[in-house]
Amino acid sequence: MSASGPAAGLSRLDEVACLESMRRGDPTCLGGFFEAWGDRIYRLSLRLTGDPAAAEDVVQEAFLKLMAGADRIEGRSRLATWLYRVAYNASIDRLRELRRTAPLPEEEGDASSPVPALLVDFLSPEEMLEDAETRRALDEAITAVPPTLRAAFLLRDVEGLSTAEAAEALSVTETNLKVRLHRARLLLRERLSAFMAGRRERREGRA
Amino acid sequence: MTCADLVLHLSDYIDGTLAPDERAEAEAHLAGCDKCHLVLDTTQCTILLYRAAESPALDDSRREALLRRLERACRRSDDPL
Repeated sequence: MSASGPAAGLSRLDEVACLESMRRGDPTCLGGFFEAWGDRIYRLSLRLTGDPAAAEDVVQEAFLKLMAGADRIEGRSRLATWLYRVAYNASIDRLRELRRTAPLPEEEGDASSPVPALLVDFLSPEEMLEDAETRRALDEAITAVPPTLRAAFLLRDVEGLSTAEAAEALSVTETNLKVRLHRARLLLRERLSAFMAGRRERREGRA
Repeated sequence: MTCADLVLHLSDYIDGTLAPDERAEAEAHLAGCDKCHLVLDTTQCTILLYRAAESPALDDSRREALLRRLERACRRSDDPL
């Protein structure tokens, strides 16, 4: 797992001291926090909102809150979970503004799993990632997954949070988090399978 | 274990959170079911793909400008009102 927890090199003690100094108006530690968290928050928000300007706003909002309310990060709410929660909530707010529609679909009531329908072999991840068409398909597939499910997938499978941490960041129960994650994985698998099937047909058609 | 059961437990299987007896049942099913094996492989590949895919980061100039704004905001928070 690539990135778990506050990973980015600060011990718990340093973290507390740094948060305290930022709260007193000393930005010395800010660069380090920004280095550790800025891009991670940006990427999460970009994948949730699909909008670079909104994602940049979310990073700014998360850091302003971090500096203003650092004293509230304690105990159960570790820095990683706290930052991801702020970033998730801010992203969902931006998404609502961008869509100007009724509340986003929660996708919570339906606990049934999508049934895998397409059975197509993938290439190796290395081969797939070398292909620009496949990378576009990855972006399109994740954009098509409802944001609440997408967030569960991004936090658990991409950012490497534990089930408990991801559940806390999204303010849902662990059971609910697991349902969302499972649905997201199966939806993504299905979309990528459809892409791979189409790609194979196109290539065979040309041959 | 049926194919539907396997799919239901697929994420727990991938995450290693199945009880030992359920895991053994899942493995027995997977050993004899090519379709479920393919679903497992492609789901694991899906996860690996997103984990390995680079998503765009903030570009350098915007990043720098944002950090400067945050530093100014941090210093101001110390000003007595």
